[in-house]
Amino acid sequence: MTTIDHAAKALTCLDKLAPRVCAVVRSIETDDEEMQRLKMLGVCVGRRVELVRGGDPLILRIFGSQLGLSAELAARVRVEICQPGHCALREDNCA
Amino acid sequence: MSDAGKFLSSSSCCEPSQPQHLPHHAYTLALVGNPNAGKTTLFNALTGLRAKTANFPGTTVERRVGRTKIGSHQIVLVDLPGLYGLESSSPDEKLASDALRGRLDGHPAPNAALVVVDATNLERNLFLASQVLELDCPVIVALNMMDMAKRDGIRIDVAKLRTELGCPVVPISARSGKGIRELQNEIQRLIGGPDAETAPQAKPGCGACSGCPYQARYEWTEKISNRVMDGTMARRSERTERIDEIVTHPVVGVIVFQLVMLVIFALIFWAAQIPMHLIDHLFVTIGAWVGTIMPAGDLQSMMEYGVIGGVGGILVFLPQICILFFVLSLLEDTGYLSRAAFVMDKVMRRFGLPGKAFVPMLSAHACAIPAIMSTRVIENPRDRLLTILITPLMTCSARIPVYAMVTALLFPNSPWKAAAVFTAAYGTGVLAALGAALVFRHTILPGESKPLMIELPPYRLPGLQTALLHTFDRAKIFVKQAGTIILAISLILWALSYYPKSSPPATAVAMNVQAAQFEKTGDTNQAAFLRDSASRQTAQNSLQHSFAGKIGHVIEPVIAPLGYDWQIGIGILSSFAAREVIVSTMAIVYGVGKDNAEHNPNSLYDSLRQAKRSNGSPIFNTATCASLLVFYILAAQCLSTTAVVRRETNSWKWPLFQIAYMTGLAYIAAFIVFQVVSRLVS
Repeated sequence: MTTIDHAAKALTCLDKLAPRVCAVVRSIETDDEEMQRLKMLGVCVGRRVELVRGGDPLILRIFGSQLGLSAELAARVRVEICQPGHCALREDNCA
Repeated sequence: MSDAGKFLSSSSCCEPSQPQHLPHHAYTLALVGNPNAGKTTLFNALTGLRAKTANFPGTTVERRVGRTKIGSHQIVLVDLPGLYGLESSSPDEKLASDALRGRLDGHPAPNAALVVVDATNLERNLFLASQVLELDCPVIVALNMMDMAKRDGIRIDVAKLRTELGCPVVPISARSGKGIRELQNEIQRLIGGPDAETAPQAKPGCGACSGCPYQARYEWTEKISNRVMDGTMARRSERTERIDEIVTHPVVGVIVFQLVMLVIFALIFWAAQIPMHLIDHLFVTIGAWVGTIMPAGDLQSMMEYGVIGGVGGILVFLPQICILFFVLSLLEDTGYLSRAAFVMDKVMRRFGLPGKAFVPMLSAHACAIPAIMSTRVIENPRDRLLTILITPLMTCSARIPVYAMVTALLFPNSPWKAAAVFTAAYGTGVLAALGAALVFRHTILPGESKPLMIELPPYRLPGLQTALLHTFDRAKIFVKQAGTIILAISLILWALSYYPKSSPPATAVAMNVQAAQFEKTGDTNQAAFLRDSASRQTAQNSLQHSFAGKIGHVIEPVIAPLGYDWQIGIGILSSFAAREVIVSTMAIVYGVGKDNAEHNPNSLYDSLRQAKRSNGSPIFNTATCASLLVFYILAAQCLSTTAVVRRETNSWKWPLFQIAYMTGLAYIAAFIVFQVVSRLVS
């Protein structure tokens, strides 16, 4: 069950993100135990993430800390890449 | 501003009632926090050595309980497992959450919660803090790692955070002890009575967001951190990133990890030898001393071989347990263990095992007992159980004397061939373990190991005190819980080999008479030789006629297809408690004498080579030796392991299953090897 409400914007799967690129989580596929936990650890809609090391497993930076994550789980998270001069984060704050 | 009810369907509060089993003036304070927030260090700083580790009733999840006195108040501090949020599905975290909310039977809610928050990672840590604040129970926030935060250039306005959260916030650094006194004062103030500040607590709220509770709550934590923190988002220190470049590298990282494990392995394998020999020697000496001061008889034999031998057999494992847990605790504290799990995950996953299973599997090459106790680093209970089940297949140091005996029989004059046999034996153990893991993943524990999701905390210098306390804790648990079972069974095994008593054989009696005559004539050498032979024959005779000997005869038809006779049967039976015992049992059974075999192993090997079956063919031919080797690689023959598995799985089901599958596997493999080799060789 995917909810892409920003269809116009280019969404990338988290595991395909290039290292050192800042992105914002837009949607998370299927809500099972693993994804619940991932959200609890901070990978939830509206959070800013950055890939530190690609591959499987990969390393994400979220807040001040790093998270080791299997690519299988990362593939279920869609992110919007922040473009230069445009931070995706600033638009979608809940009012 | 909306209230907390949006996030939690039921926020049962902490009740003011006192736990029944505690003195009524004791005040319970639950320690809550994210993993890696420094909870345990703070717990130790507040309670010191006065802590007890016990499982939550009916589970294998541990909690530590410690008492401390602040002012005139008795305080019971409960260290709950680390958790990221209250709605977790992992069993450890669920228990912590239930304990905090007073939902556990016979486990009343704490009077107040002490939330440990990592100042270097405020945004993540406030998530849990906000959930705890909603429980309507008094909360104190300990803002830990202030020294680290300062080093990383993070400045936190504590007074502002206090206002935002609406509860007392105390900046501390648990490692150095800074701020602990202020924290104690704050706790004292809380017990004294709720003051204006603690009564109405601000609840995090985000009324506009109704969709994802995580999103709403994280937006709240972000808002708070932005308000109280100076400057931009916390950046990890560059040192951590530079180290991670190397140790999380898919190739270099694996090599680094293997080097680290090699050092641990060397420590438990070689460094532990010295204290182990000392303990062994000590108990042999005590046993012998008891043998001299007590009148000969049943009680003396029971004390010497059953009780003192049994206690020695338990304590001899302590050096290995202590070394492994000390080093593992240091490694975990530095943050390296998470990286190790990260790099090994891909390799181990192919066999259905989690990355962290590598630590116990390698440690098991020294001893399965600390290895199984160390499986607690694996969070998922199914992954942990799988690792526990296969770990004892690794070649532990107790198998080495058996391998040495068999290789000496097979290739007496060829060190290269002997080395090849040793290598093959180690390899067989590893392959059997990985194979068993795959089979269990497709049968009794279906599914895959949980996909990796692990926080990689910043590197920190490890705390010596935490490591020492942890080591002490593990050692105590082993001696108390595994020790009692081991002692009981070692007494049973002693009785099996001691009763029923038989009179010394006629030849031994005659030799003693002859020895007495030699002593009269002054030929003490000859007399000592005769007495020694007589005592060996007596020991051989009494073991052969004991229950153990009788059982050896009974099981002979079962073990005959593996190439074993009833005498090897006694050896196998005696090594049920500890496999290395077979060497000394064989020495007694074949009349070499235990002491002779220890000082001169060749005397044992020679007698074994000469041992014949009833039809005159040698017992220890190539096929029997190969079959015996395979049997000892695979069979479950370690009582201490069984006792530890029982404790770690909290049931008899899994240790019994482990004995059954390992021994079954050993039987089938030894059968095949014997049948194939005897056909090839003859």
